[in-house]
Amino acid sequence: MSESELGRKWDRCLADAVVKIGTGFGLGIVFSLTFFKRRMWPLAFGSGMGLGMAYSNCQHDFQAPYLLHGKYVKEQEQ
Amino acid sequence: MVARVWSLMRFLIKGSVAGGAVYLVYDQELLGPSDKSQAALQKAGEVVPPAMYQFSQYVCQQTGLQIPQLPAPPKIDFPIRDSWNAGIMTVMSALSVAPSKVREYSKEGWEYVKARTK
Repeated sequence: MSESELGRKWDRCLADAVVKIGTGFGLGIVFSLTFFKRRMWPLAFGSGMGLGMAYSNCQHDFQAPYLLHGKYVKEQEQ
Repeated sequence: MVARVWSLMRFLIKGSVAGGAVYLVYDQELLGPSDKSQAALQKAGEVVPPAMYQFSQYVCQQTGLQIPQLPAPPKIDFPIRDSWNAGIMTVMSALSVAPSKVREYSKEGWEYVKARTK
């Protein structure tokens, strides 16, 4: 992986993390205000979910060139 | 009867607000692949400042208040990434030559002390 590609991946990761954590936080605010009587746990839950999804995406993005994709081939009986 | 209708109305309003938020997230693919999130962030960066400016202008017109013009933020032309990389490389090369340099300087110091004490 070249350095510029690595830099682009890091930029994409950071932008993704910001968007996902913000979205999770926003959804947490909405659900906390509407259904959960202004408790704090929906915010923490939403932010945590966003962070986890961003981490998973980043991990997949960085591992992608090195992952090998195989498929099972049935043995043909002669 | 009225209380029941009112509580049902409240539930429907809350449900529609929450459902609308979830639909918006799904429609904009904010929790999807990372390139879609990056595109959404870029779009937000382009749309939000003019919208904020127009809203502030509307508020000024309605209330008669004058919001003072903030000065433009200073443009920092410092290449952080290049200087960080150069700094890391300098530190690592210094660490790699440190043992041999220490040996050389200690040898020179020892020779100097020996010469002095003769």
